[in-house]
Amino acid sequence: MARISLMEKGVSYVILCAVGILLFAPFIYMLSIAFASDATTVKVAFTFIPLEFTFENFTKVFTNYHLGTYLKNSVIITFWTVIGSVASASFVSYGFARLKAKGSGIIFVILLSTMMIPGEVTMVPQFIIYKELGWVNTFLPLIVPSFFAGAYNVFLIRQFIMAIPRSLDEAAMIDGMGHFGIYSKIILPMTFPILSAIAIFSFSYNWGNFMGPLIYINDPEKTPLALGVQLISTASGGQMPPWNMVMVASLFLTIPMIIVYMLGQRFVYEANISGGSSGIK
Amino acid sequence: MKNKDGRWFYLFISPWLIGFIALTLGPILFSIYMSFTDWDLFQSANFIGIDNYKNLLTDDPIFWKSLWNTFYYSFIAVPLGMSISLWIAYYLNKKLKGITFFRVLYYLPSVVPVVAASLLFIQLFAPTEGLINQGLALFGIQGPAWLLDANWVKLALVVMSLWGVGGGVVLLLAGMKGIPPELYEASAIDGASSKQSFFSITFPMLTPVIFFNLVTGIIGALQTFAQVFIVTSGGPDNASQMVVPYLFQNAFRFYKMGYASAIAWVLFIIILLLTLIVFRSSALWVHYEEGKENG
Repeated sequence: MARISLMEKGVSYVILCAVGILLFAPFIYMLSIAFASDATTVKVAFTFIPLEFTFENFTKVFTNYHLGTYLKNSVIITFWTVIGSVASASFVSYGFARLKAKGSGIIFVILLSTMMIPGEVTMVPQFIIYKELGWVNTFLPLIVPSFFAGAYNVFLIRQFIMAIPRSLDEAAMIDGMGHFGIYSKIILPMTFPILSAIAIFSFSYNWGNFMGPLIYINDPEKTPLALGVQLISTASGGQMPPWNMVMVASLFLTIPMIIVYMLGQRFVYEANISGGSSGIK
Repeated sequence: MKNKDGRWFYLFISPWLIGFIALTLGPILFSIYMSFTDWDLFQSANFIGIDNYKNLLTDDPIFWKSLWNTFYYSFIAVPLGMSISLWIAYYLNKKLKGITFFRVLYYLPSVVPVVAASLLFIQLFAPTEGLINQGLALFGIQGPAWLLDANWVKLALVVMSLWGVGGGVVLLLAGMKGIPPELYEASAIDGASSKQSFFSITFPMLTPVIFFNLVTGIIGALQTFAQVFIVTSGGPDNASQMVVPYLFQNAFRFYKMGYASAIAWVLFIIILLLTLIVFRSSALWVHYEEGKENG
Protein backbone atom coordinates (compact mmCIF):
# COMPACT_ATOMS: atom_id res chain seq x y z
CA MET A 1 0.00 0.00 0.00
CA ALA A 2 2.93 2.28 -0.58
CA ARG A 3 1.95 4.54 -3.47
CA ILE A 4 -1.57 5.95 -3.65
CA SER A 5 -2.78 7.91 -6.65
CA LEU A 6 -4.48 11.26 -6.22
CA MET A 7 -7.69 9.85 -7.68
CA GLU A 8 -7.69 6.94 -5.23
CA LYS A 9 -7.06 9.36 -2.37
CA GLY A 10 -10.00 11.54 -3.31
CA VAL A 11 -12.39 8.60 -3.66
CA SER A 12 -11.24 7.24 -0.30
CA TYR A 13 -11.89 10.53 1.47
CA VAL A 14 -15.36 10.91 -0.05
CA ILE A 15 -16.34 7.39 0.99
CA LEU A 16 -14.84 7.74 4.47
CA CYS A 17 -16.63 11.04 5.08
CA ALA A 18 -20.00 9.92 3.75
CA VAL A 19 -20.11 6.76 5.86
CA GLY A 20 -18.63 8.70 8.79
CA ILE A 21 -21.46 11.23 8.77
CA LEU A 22 -24.05 8.43 8.79
CA LEU A 23 -22.35 6.81 11.77
CA PHE A 24 -21.92 10.05 13.67
CA ALA A 25 -25.41 11.52 13.20
CA PRO A 26 -26.96 9.79 16.24
CA PHE A 27 -24.25 11.27 18.47
CA ILE A 28 -25.21 14.78 17.48
CA TYR A 29 -28.62 13.98 18.85
CA MET A 30 -27.06 12.82 22.12
CA LEU A 31 -24.88 15.93 22.41
CA SER A 32 -27.76 18.20 21.57
CA ILE A 33 -29.89 16.83 24.40
CA ALA A 34 -26.97 16.86 26.84
CA PHE A 35 -26.65 20.62 26.42
CA ALA A 36 -30.37 21.37 26.48
CA SER A 37 -31.98 23.03 29.48
CA ASP A 38 -34.70 21.28 31.48
CA ALA A 39 -37.40 23.34 29.81
CA THR A 40 -36.24 22.47 26.30
CA THR A 41 -36.10 18.73 26.82
CA VAL A 42 -39.72 18.63 27.89
CA LYS A 43 -40.62 19.53 24.35
CA VAL A 44 -39.53 16.30 22.74
CA ALA A 45 -39.10 17.85 19.31
CA PHE A 46 -35.58 17.45 18.03
CA THR A 47 -33.49 20.50 17.23
CA PHE A 48 -29.88 20.20 16.11
CA ILE A 49 -28.88 23.12 18.30
CA PRO A 50 -30.77 23.19 21.60
CA LEU A 51 -33.22 26.09 21.90
CA GLU A 52 -31.81 26.95 25.32
CA PHE A 53 -28.15 26.03 25.57
CA THR A 54 -26.67 25.30 29.02
CA PHE A 55 -23.47 23.96 30.59
CA GLU A 56 -25.07 23.64 34.01
CA ASN A 57 -26.10 20.04 33.35
CA PHE A 58 -22.49 18.98 33.73
CA THR A 59 -22.21 20.19 37.32
CA LYS A 60 -25.76 19.21 38.22
CA VAL A 61 -25.14 15.49 37.61
CA PHE A 62 -22.47 15.59 40.31
CA THR A 63 -24.42 17.59 42.88
CA ASN A 64 -27.98 16.39 42.34
CA TYR A 65 -27.11 12.84 41.30
CA HIS A 66 -24.28 10.53 42.45
CA LEU A 67 -22.18 10.62 39.32
CA GLY A 68 -18.89 10.80 41.28
CA THR A 69 -19.58 7.57 43.17
CA TYR A 70 -20.74 5.81 40.00
CA LEU A 71 -17.55 6.83 38.21
CA LYS A 72 -15.29 5.62 41.03
CA ASN A 73 -16.99 2.21 41.14
CA SER A 74 -16.74 1.83 37.37
CA VAL A 75 -13.02 2.59 37.48
CA ILE A 76 -12.33 -0.08 40.13
CA ILE A 77 -14.39 -2.78 38.41
CA THR A 78 -13.04 -2.04 34.94
CA PHE A 79 -9.40 -1.94 36.06
CA TRP A 80 -9.50 -5.45 37.51
CA THR A 81 -11.62 -7.01 34.77
CA VAL A 82 -9.33 -5.77 32.01
CA ILE A 83 -6.25 -7.19 33.74
CA GLY A 84 -8.03 -10.47 34.45
CA SER A 85 -9.44 -11.00 30.97
CA VAL A 86 -6.26 -10.24 29.05
CA ALA A 87 -3.89 -12.24 31.27
CA SER A 88 -6.04 -15.34 31.61
CA ALA A 89 -7.19 -15.50 27.98
CA SER A 90 -3.66 -15.07 26.66
CA PHE A 91 -2.33 -17.93 28.81
CA VAL A 92 -5.22 -20.30 28.07
CA SER A 93 -5.23 -19.70 24.33
CA TYR A 94 -1.60 -20.83 24.07
CA GLY A 95 -2.80 -24.20 25.33
CA PHE A 96 -5.59 -24.43 22.77
CA ALA A 97 -3.49 -23.20 19.84
CA ARG A 98 -0.28 -25.13 20.39
CA LEU A 99 -0.79 -28.15 22.63
CA LYS A 100 -2.61 -31.40 21.99
CA ALA A 101 -3.96 -33.82 24.55
CA LYS A 102 -6.50 -36.57 24.72
CA GLY A 103 -9.84 -34.82 24.41
CA SER A 104 -8.41 -31.38 23.65
CA GLY A 105 -10.64 -31.08 20.56
CA ILE A 106 -13.78 -31.80 22.53
CA ILE A 107 -12.71 -29.42 25.29
CA PHE A 108 -12.37 -26.68 22.68
CA VAL A 109 -15.93 -27.37 21.48
CA ILE A 110 -17.09 -27.17 25.12
CA LEU A 111 -15.31 -23.82 25.46
CA LEU A 112 -17.12 -22.52 22.36
CA SER A 113 -20.39 -23.99 23.63
CA THR A 114 -20.30 -21.70 26.63
CA MET A 115 -20.90 -18.84 24.18
CA MET A 116 -23.92 -20.60 22.69
CA ILE A 117 -26.04 -21.00 25.80
CA PRO A 118 -28.32 -17.99 26.28
CA GLY A 119 -27.18 -16.32 29.50
CA GLU A 120 -30.77 -15.78 30.56
CA VAL A 121 -31.29 -19.42 31.55
CA THR A 122 -28.11 -19.79 33.59
CA MET A 123 -28.66 -16.42 35.28
CA VAL A 124 -30.74 -17.79 38.14
CA PRO A 125 -28.48 -20.71 39.17
CA GLN A 126 -25.45 -18.43 38.76
CA PHE A 127 -27.06 -15.95 41.11
CA ILE A 128 -27.64 -18.72 43.64
CA ILE A 129 -23.93 -19.67 43.54
CA TYR A 130 -22.80 -16.08 44.16
CA LYS A 131 -25.36 -15.69 46.90
CA GLU A 132 -24.10 -18.84 48.63
CA LEU A 133 -20.57 -17.45 48.37
CA GLY A 134 -21.78 -14.25 50.03
CA TRP A 135 -20.70 -12.17 47.03
CA VAL A 136 -23.99 -10.39 46.33
CA ASN A 137 -23.68 -6.64 46.73
CA THR A 138 -19.92 -6.77 46.26
CA PHE A 139 -17.81 -6.25 43.13
CA LEU A 140 -16.69 -9.90 43.19
CA PRO A 141 -19.35 -11.41 40.85
CA LEU A 142 -18.43 -8.72 38.34
CA ILE A 143 -14.64 -9.08 38.65
CA VAL A 144 -13.73 -12.68 39.51
CA PRO A 145 -15.16 -14.43 36.39
CA SER A 146 -12.89 -12.38 34.14
CA PHE A 147 -9.85 -14.09 35.68
CA PHE A 148 -11.12 -17.43 34.34
CA ALA A 149 -10.62 -16.66 30.60
CA GLY A 150 -13.67 -15.86 28.49
CA ALA A 151 -14.38 -18.09 25.49
CA TYR A 152 -14.62 -15.17 23.05
CA ASN A 153 -11.14 -13.89 23.94
CA VAL A 154 -9.55 -17.33 24.00
CA PHE A 155 -10.97 -18.15 20.56
CA LEU A 156 -9.77 -14.82 19.17
CA ILE A 157 -6.18 -15.09 20.45
CA ARG A 158 -6.07 -18.72 19.32
CA GLN A 159 -6.80 -17.57 15.76
CA PHE A 160 -3.83 -15.22 15.88
CA ILE A 161 -1.46 -17.75 17.47
CA MET A 162 -2.37 -20.34 14.85
CA ALA A 163 -1.18 -17.97 12.16
CA ILE A 164 2.29 -17.71 13.76
CA PRO A 165 4.71 -20.17 12.11
CA ARG A 166 5.37 -23.18 14.28
CA SER A 167 8.95 -23.19 13.07
CA LEU A 168 9.62 -20.37 15.55
CA ASP A 169 8.52 -22.58 18.45
CA GLU A 170 10.51 -25.52 17.12
CA ALA A 171 13.67 -23.46 16.84
CA ALA A 172 13.22 -22.25 20.41
CA MET A 173 12.59 -25.80 21.59
CA ILE A 174 15.84 -26.97 20.02
CA ASP A 175 17.52 -24.17 21.98
CA GLY A 176 16.14 -25.84 25.10
CA MET A 177 13.22 -23.53 25.77
CA GLY A 178 10.16 -24.98 27.51
CA HIS A 179 6.50 -24.12 26.97
CA PHE A 180 6.58 -21.30 29.53
CA GLY A 181 9.55 -19.79 27.73
CA ILE A 182 8.00 -20.13 24.28
CA TYR A 183 4.75 -18.64 25.53
CA SER A 184 6.29 -15.67 27.35
CA LYS A 185 9.26 -14.91 25.07
CA ILE A 186 7.89 -15.71 21.59
CA ILE A 187 4.09 -15.93 21.47
CA LEU A 188 3.22 -13.21 24.01
CA PRO A 189 5.17 -10.40 22.28
CA MET A 190 3.78 -11.43 18.89
CA THR A 191 0.19 -11.40 20.08
CA PHE A 192 0.60 -8.00 21.72
CA PRO A 193 -1.55 -6.18 19.09
CA ILE A 194 -4.50 -8.52 19.52
CA LEU A 195 -4.12 -8.42 23.31
CA SER A 196 -4.36 -4.62 23.05
CA ALA A 197 -7.55 -5.03 21.03
CA ILE A 198 -8.94 -7.36 23.70
CA ALA A 199 -8.00 -4.86 26.42
CA ILE A 200 -9.94 -2.16 24.53
CA PHE A 201 -12.96 -4.43 24.03
CA SER A 202 -12.93 -5.63 27.60
CA PHE A 203 -12.68 -2.06 28.84
CA SER A 204 -15.70 -1.10 26.73
CA TYR A 205 -17.67 -4.16 27.76
CA ASN A 206 -17.08 -3.81 31.49
CA TRP A 207 -17.37 -0.03 31.54
CA GLY A 208 -20.72 -0.35 29.79
CA ASN A 209 -21.89 -3.56 31.51
CA PHE A 210 -25.46 -3.08 32.66
CA MET A 211 -26.86 -6.58 33.24
CA GLY A 212 -24.20 -7.70 35.75
CA PRO A 213 -24.58 -4.76 38.16
CA LEU A 214 -28.36 -4.85 37.72
CA ILE A 215 -28.42 -8.41 39.04
CA TYR A 216 -25.73 -8.31 41.72
CA ILE A 217 -25.61 -4.74 43.04
CA ASN A 218 -28.42 -3.02 44.89
CA ASP A 219 -26.41 -0.72 47.14
CA PRO A 220 -26.32 2.79 45.59
CA GLU A 221 -22.81 3.24 47.05
CA LYS A 222 -21.55 0.32 44.92
CA THR A 223 -23.39 1.15 41.72
CA PRO A 224 -21.25 1.59 38.61
CA LEU A 225 -22.03 4.20 35.96
CA ALA A 226 -23.83 2.01 33.39
CA LEU A 227 -26.45 1.16 35.99
CA GLY A 228 -26.26 4.68 37.41
CA VAL A 229 -27.47 6.12 34.09
CA GLN A 230 -30.55 3.96 34.44
CA LEU A 231 -31.03 5.14 38.05
CA ILE A 232 -30.85 8.76 36.91
CA SER A 233 -33.46 8.11 34.22
CA THR A 234 -35.88 6.72 36.82
CA ALA A 235 -34.92 9.21 39.57
CA SER A 236 -38.04 11.28 39.11
CA GLY A 237 -40.38 8.40 39.84
CA GLY A 238 -43.17 7.98 37.32
CA GLN A 239 -42.43 11.37 35.75
CA MET A 240 -40.63 12.07 32.47
CA PRO A 241 -36.98 11.09 32.88
CA PRO A 242 -34.60 14.08 33.04
CA TRP A 243 -33.37 13.41 29.49
CA ASN A 244 -30.64 16.02 29.57
CA MET A 245 -29.16 14.49 32.76
CA VAL A 246 -29.42 11.02 31.24
CA MET A 247 -27.54 12.16 28.16
CA VAL A 248 -24.83 13.93 30.18
CA ALA A 249 -24.32 10.73 32.18
CA SER A 250 -24.30 8.81 28.89
CA LEU A 251 -21.52 11.08 27.68
CA PHE A 252 -19.51 10.20 30.79
CA LEU A 253 -20.19 6.60 29.93
CA THR A 254 -19.11 6.94 26.31
CA ILE A 255 -16.18 9.36 26.36
CA PRO A 256 -13.75 7.21 28.43
CA MET A 257 -14.29 4.38 25.95
CA ILE A 258 -13.38 6.68 23.08
CA ILE A 259 -10.27 7.91 24.90
CA VAL A 260 -9.15 4.37 25.67
CA TYR A 261 -9.62 3.44 22.03
CA MET A 262 -7.68 6.49 20.85
CA LEU A 263 -4.77 5.69 23.15
CA GLY A 264 -4.93 1.94 22.62
CA GLN A 265 -5.31 1.69 18.87
CA ARG A 266 -1.65 2.66 18.45
CA PHE A 267 -0.70 -0.64 20.05
CA VAL A 268 -3.19 -2.57 17.97
CA TYR A 269 -2.16 -1.21 14.59
CA GLU A 270 1.47 -0.24 14.90
CA ALA A 271 3.05 -2.42 17.55
CA ASN A 272 4.27 -5.18 15.28
CA ILE A 273 5.92 -2.98 12.70
CA SER A 274 9.11 -2.96 14.75
CA GLY A 275 8.83 -6.62 15.72
CA GLY A 276 8.94 -9.62 13.42
CA SER A 277 6.55 -8.56 10.74
CA SER A 278 5.79 -12.05 9.50
CA GLY A 279 4.07 -13.00 12.72
CA ILE A 280 0.48 -12.06 12.98
CA LYS A 281 -2.05 -12.49 10.25
CA MET B 1 6.31 -36.24 23.62
CA LYS B 2 2.52 -36.38 23.08
CA ASN B 3 1.98 -37.46 26.66
CA LYS B 4 4.03 -34.60 28.04
CA ASP B 5 2.16 -32.17 25.77
CA GLY B 6 -1.04 -33.38 27.41
CA ARG B 7 0.02 -32.30 30.86
CA TRP B 8 1.11 -28.91 29.54
CA PHE B 9 -2.20 -28.54 27.73
CA TYR B 10 -4.14 -28.95 30.96
CA LEU B 11 -1.78 -26.66 32.83
CA PHE B 12 -2.24 -23.86 30.30
CA ILE B 13 -6.01 -24.17 30.08
CA SER B 14 -6.38 -24.54 33.86
CA PRO B 15 -7.59 -20.95 34.48
CA TRP B 16 -10.49 -21.57 32.12
CA LEU B 17 -11.08 -25.13 33.29
CA ILE B 18 -11.27 -24.14 36.97
CA GLY B 19 -13.69 -21.30 36.26
CA PHE B 20 -15.78 -23.54 34.04
CA ILE B 21 -16.09 -26.29 36.65
CA ALA B 22 -16.59 -23.90 39.59
CA LEU B 23 -18.94 -21.29 38.12
CA THR B 24 -20.35 -22.39 34.74
CA LEU B 25 -20.86 -26.14 34.68
CA GLY B 26 -23.26 -26.23 37.65
CA PRO B 27 -25.68 -23.66 36.21
CA ILE B 28 -25.56 -25.45 32.83
CA LEU B 29 -26.44 -28.85 34.31
CA PHE B 30 -29.10 -27.18 36.45
CA SER B 31 -30.77 -25.62 33.42
CA ILE B 32 -30.68 -28.93 31.50
CA TYR B 33 -32.47 -30.58 34.40
CA MET B 34 -34.97 -27.71 34.70
CA SER B 35 -35.89 -28.07 31.01
CA PHE B 36 -37.49 -31.40 31.99
CA THR B 37 -39.55 -29.81 34.78
CA ASP B 38 -42.40 -27.33 35.22
CA TRP B 39 -40.30 -24.98 37.40
CA ASP B 40 -41.91 -21.56 37.91
CA LEU B 41 -38.96 -19.92 39.75
CA PHE B 42 -40.79 -19.97 43.11
CA GLN B 43 -42.18 -23.41 43.89
CA SER B 44 -40.22 -26.62 43.76
CA ALA B 45 -40.06 -28.19 40.33
CA ASN B 46 -41.89 -31.32 39.19
CA PHE B 47 -40.26 -33.64 36.69
CA ILE B 48 -42.43 -33.80 33.59
CA GLY B 49 -40.14 -35.60 31.14
CA ILE B 50 -39.98 -34.28 27.61
CA ASP B 51 -43.32 -32.41 27.75
CA ASN B 52 -41.69 -28.97 27.41
CA TYR B 53 -39.83 -30.05 24.29
CA LYS B 54 -42.94 -31.71 22.86
CA ASN B 55 -45.08 -28.60 23.41
CA LEU B 56 -42.37 -26.37 22.04
CA LEU B 57 -41.92 -28.28 18.81
CA THR B 58 -45.52 -29.34 18.11
CA ASP B 59 -47.79 -26.80 19.77
CA ASP B 60 -46.18 -23.35 19.89
CA PRO B 61 -46.56 -21.24 16.73
CA ILE B 62 -44.87 -18.24 18.36
CA PHE B 63 -41.72 -20.29 18.93
CA TRP B 64 -41.60 -21.27 15.27
CA LYS B 65 -42.26 -17.72 14.19
CA SER B 66 -39.53 -16.38 16.48
CA LEU B 67 -37.15 -19.03 15.17
CA TRP B 68 -37.91 -18.03 11.57
CA ASN B 69 -37.45 -14.33 12.44
CA THR B 70 -34.15 -15.06 14.17
CA PHE B 71 -32.83 -16.89 11.10
CA TYR B 72 -34.14 -14.22 8.74
CA TYR B 73 -32.42 -11.49 10.77
CA SER B 74 -29.16 -13.40 11.25
CA PHE B 75 -28.76 -14.49 7.66
CA ILE B 76 -29.07 -10.91 6.45
CA ALA B 77 -27.27 -9.11 9.29
CA VAL B 78 -24.18 -11.34 9.58
CA PRO B 79 -23.04 -11.52 5.91
CA LEU B 80 -23.97 -7.89 5.32
CA GLY B 81 -22.15 -6.75 8.47
CA MET B 82 -19.07 -8.80 7.58
CA SER B 83 -18.84 -7.48 4.03
CA ILE B 84 -19.32 -3.90 5.15
CA SER B 85 -16.71 -4.20 7.89
CA LEU B 86 -14.21 -5.71 5.47
CA TRP B 87 -14.90 -2.88 3.05
CA ILE B 88 -14.50 -0.25 5.80
CA ALA B 89 -11.31 -1.89 7.10
CA TYR B 90 -9.88 -1.80 3.58
CA TYR B 91 -10.33 1.97 3.46
CA LEU B 92 -9.19 2.55 7.05
CA ASN B 93 -5.98 0.66 6.28
CA LYS B 94 -4.88 3.22 3.69
CA LYS B 95 -2.08 5.58 4.53
CA LEU B 96 -4.03 8.81 4.40
CA LYS B 97 -3.75 12.00 6.40
CA GLY B 98 -6.17 12.06 9.33
CA ILE B 99 -6.90 8.35 9.08
CA THR B 100 -6.73 8.05 12.89
CA PHE B 101 -9.69 10.39 13.11
CA PHE B 102 -11.74 8.12 10.85
CA ARG B 103 -10.70 5.02 12.77
CA VAL B 104 -12.03 6.58 15.98
CA LEU B 105 -15.20 7.76 14.25
CA TYR B 106 -15.97 4.27 12.90
CA TYR B 107 -15.28 2.57 16.21
CA LEU B 108 -17.42 5.03 18.16
CA PRO B 109 -20.86 3.43 17.66
CA SER B 110 -19.69 0.05 18.92
CA VAL B 111 -18.86 1.50 22.36
CA VAL B 112 -22.36 2.79 22.93
CA PRO B 113 -24.06 0.31 25.27
CA VAL B 114 -26.81 -1.55 23.50
CA VAL B 115 -29.41 -0.13 25.90
CA ALA B 116 -28.48 3.44 24.99
CA ALA B 117 -28.22 2.61 21.28
CA SER B 118 -31.68 1.05 21.41
CA LEU B 119 -33.22 4.17 22.95
CA LEU B 120 -31.50 6.24 20.28
CA PHE B 121 -32.80 4.11 17.41
CA ILE B 122 -36.37 4.25 18.63
CA GLN B 123 -36.16 8.00 17.99
CA LEU B 124 -34.30 7.61 14.71
CA PHE B 125 -36.84 5.16 13.28
CA ALA B 126 -39.88 7.27 14.19
CA PRO B 127 -42.19 7.29 11.12
CA THR B 128 -42.38 11.02 10.35
CA GLU B 129 -40.18 12.98 12.77
CA GLY B 130 -37.42 10.33 12.87
CA LEU B 131 -34.04 11.37 11.49
CA ILE B 132 -33.88 8.42 9.07
CA ASN B 133 -37.15 9.16 7.30
CA GLN B 134 -36.41 12.89 7.35
CA GLY B 135 -33.13 12.08 5.63
CA LEU B 136 -34.88 9.90 3.06
CA ALA B 137 -37.43 12.67 2.48
CA LEU B 138 -34.58 14.94 1.35
CA PHE B 139 -34.22 12.58 -1.62
CA GLY B 140 -37.96 12.47 -2.14
CA ILE B 141 -38.25 8.99 -0.68
CA GLN B 142 -41.20 8.22 1.56
CA GLY B 143 -39.69 5.97 4.23
CA PRO B 144 -41.66 3.11 5.77
CA ALA B 145 -42.97 3.22 9.35
CA TRP B 146 -40.02 0.92 10.19
CA LEU B 147 -40.76 -0.37 13.70
CA LEU B 148 -44.52 -0.30 13.20
CA ASP B 149 -44.47 -2.11 9.87
CA ALA B 150 -44.31 -5.92 9.96
CA ASN B 151 -42.48 -5.98 6.62
CA TRP B 152 -39.76 -3.56 7.65
CA VAL B 153 -39.19 -4.12 11.36
CA LYS B 154 -36.61 -6.90 10.93
CA LEU B 155 -34.68 -4.85 8.39
CA ALA B 156 -34.76 -1.92 10.83
CA LEU B 157 -33.01 -4.19 13.34
CA VAL B 158 -30.49 -5.13 10.64
CA VAL B 159 -29.78 -1.43 9.98
CA MET B 160 -29.29 -0.94 13.71
CA SER B 161 -26.83 -3.85 13.85
CA LEU B 162 -24.78 -2.33 11.02
CA TRP B 163 -24.23 0.77 13.09
CA GLY B 164 -22.00 -1.27 15.43
CA VAL B 165 -19.68 -2.96 12.92
CA GLY B 166 -16.68 -1.06 14.36
CA GLY B 167 -15.65 -3.87 16.70
CA GLY B 168 -15.19 -6.32 13.83
CA VAL B 169 -13.35 -3.63 11.86
CA VAL B 170 -10.76 -3.32 14.66
CA LEU B 171 -9.99 -7.03 14.41
CA LEU B 172 -9.74 -6.95 10.61
CA LEU B 173 -7.41 -3.94 10.79
CA ALA B 174 -5.24 -5.67 13.39
CA GLY B 175 -5.05 -8.59 10.98
CA MET B 176 -4.21 -6.36 8.00
CA LYS B 177 -1.42 -4.69 9.95
CA GLY B 178 0.21 -8.06 10.49
CA ILE B 179 0.51 -8.88 6.78
CA PRO B 180 4.18 -8.60 5.82
CA PRO B 181 4.70 -5.60 3.51
CA GLU B 182 7.15 -7.69 1.43
CA LEU B 183 4.17 -9.57 0.03
CA TYR B 184 2.65 -6.38 -1.35
CA GLU B 185 5.98 -5.20 -2.72
CA ALA B 186 6.48 -8.53 -4.49
CA SER B 187 3.03 -8.40 -6.05
CA ALA B 188 3.51 -4.77 -7.09
CA ILE B 189 6.67 -5.78 -8.91
CA ASP B 190 4.64 -8.47 -10.67
CA GLY B 191 2.33 -5.68 -11.82
CA ALA B 192 -0.70 -6.59 -9.70
CA SER B 193 -3.42 -3.94 -9.32
CA SER B 194 -4.54 -3.00 -5.82
CA LYS B 195 -7.73 -4.99 -6.43
CA GLN B 196 -5.72 -8.05 -7.42
CA SER B 197 -3.44 -7.80 -4.42
CA PHE B 198 -6.48 -7.48 -2.14
CA PHE B 199 -7.92 -10.76 -3.39
CA SER B 200 -4.64 -12.63 -3.67
CA ILE B 201 -2.93 -11.39 -0.49
CA THR B 202 -5.11 -9.43 1.93
CA PHE B 203 -8.19 -11.63 1.85
CA PRO B 204 -6.48 -15.03 2.23
CA MET B 205 -4.23 -13.71 5.00
CA LEU B 206 -7.26 -12.36 6.84
CA THR B 207 -9.26 -15.60 6.71
CA PRO B 208 -8.46 -16.59 10.32
CA VAL B 209 -9.95 -13.28 11.52
CA ILE B 210 -12.87 -13.47 9.07
CA PHE B 211 -13.55 -16.97 10.32
CA PHE B 212 -13.59 -15.67 13.89
CA ASN B 213 -15.97 -12.84 12.97
CA LEU B 214 -18.23 -15.31 11.16
CA VAL B 215 -18.47 -17.79 14.04
CA THR B 216 -18.95 -15.20 16.78
CA GLY B 217 -21.26 -13.20 14.50
CA ILE B 218 -23.56 -16.18 13.94
CA ILE B 219 -23.59 -17.05 17.63
CA GLY B 220 -24.28 -13.43 18.62
CA ALA B 221 -26.98 -12.79 16.00
CA LEU B 222 -28.90 -15.95 16.85
CA GLN B 223 -28.94 -14.75 20.47
CA THR B 224 -30.16 -11.21 19.71
CA PHE B 225 -31.95 -9.93 22.76
CA ALA B 226 -31.69 -6.36 24.00
CA GLN B 227 -32.51 -4.66 20.67
CA VAL B 228 -35.75 -6.61 20.29
CA PHE B 229 -36.62 -6.38 23.95
CA ILE B 230 -36.19 -2.61 24.13
CA VAL B 231 -36.92 -1.38 20.62
CA THR B 232 -39.85 -3.47 19.40
CA SER B 233 -40.88 -5.84 22.23
CA GLY B 234 -41.27 -8.39 19.43
CA GLY B 235 -43.97 -6.41 17.66
CA PRO B 236 -45.84 -5.64 15.55
CA ASP B 237 -47.78 -8.90 15.74
CA ASN B 238 -44.64 -10.90 16.62
CA ALA B 239 -43.02 -9.85 13.34
CA SER B 240 -39.75 -9.13 15.16
CA GLN B 241 -40.07 -11.66 17.97
CA MET B 242 -36.87 -13.68 18.29
CA VAL B 243 -35.90 -16.78 20.22
CA VAL B 244 -34.02 -15.28 23.18
CA PRO B 245 -36.52 -12.45 23.87
CA TYR B 246 -39.27 -15.08 23.69
CA LEU B 247 -37.28 -17.23 26.11
CA PHE B 248 -36.88 -14.26 28.44
CA GLN B 249 -40.60 -13.53 28.28
CA ASN B 250 -41.44 -17.09 29.23
CA ALA B 251 -38.94 -17.14 32.07
CA PHE B 252 -39.43 -13.78 33.73
CA ARG B 253 -42.88 -12.62 32.64
CA PHE B 254 -44.87 -15.88 32.55
CA TYR B 255 -42.60 -17.56 35.13
CA LYS B 256 -42.29 -20.66 32.98
CA MET B 257 -38.61 -21.26 33.71
CA GLY B 258 -38.77 -24.93 32.77
CA TYR B 259 -40.22 -24.08 29.37
CA ALA B 260 -37.70 -21.26 28.89
CA SER B 261 -34.86 -23.70 29.63
CA ALA B 262 -36.18 -26.06 26.94
CA ILE B 263 -36.19 -23.15 24.45
CA ALA B 264 -32.59 -22.38 25.42
CA TRP B 265 -31.45 -25.93 24.76
CA VAL B 266 -33.22 -26.20 21.42
CA LEU B 267 -31.52 -22.95 20.39
CA PHE B 268 -28.21 -24.23 21.74
CA ILE B 269 -28.38 -27.36 19.57
CA ILE B 270 -29.18 -25.28 16.48
CA ILE B 271 -26.25 -22.92 17.13
CA LEU B 272 -23.89 -25.80 17.90
CA LEU B 273 -24.77 -27.60 14.67
CA LEU B 274 -24.33 -24.43 12.60
CA THR B 275 -20.99 -23.67 14.27
CA LEU B 276 -19.72 -27.20 13.67
CA ILE B 277 -20.69 -26.94 10.00
CA VAL B 278 -18.79 -23.66 9.71
CA PHE B 279 -15.80 -25.23 11.49
CA ARG B 280 -15.83 -28.21 9.10
CA SER B 281 -15.94 -25.85 6.13
CA SER B 282 -12.99 -23.86 7.48
CA ALA B 283 -10.49 -26.42 6.17
CA LEU B 284 -11.53 -25.35 2.66
CA TRP B 285 -11.08 -21.61 2.97
CA VAL B 286 -9.30 -20.57 6.19
CA HIS B 287 -5.60 -20.15 5.70
CA TYR B 288 -3.33 -20.87 8.67
CA GLU B 289 0.44 -20.61 8.50
CA GLU B 290 0.85 -24.35 9.16
CA GLY B 291 -1.00 -25.25 5.99
CA LYS B 292 1.73 -23.78 3.83
CA GLU B 293 4.88 -25.64 2.91
CA ASN B 294 7.12 -22.71 3.82
CA GLY B 295 5.42 -22.38 7.23
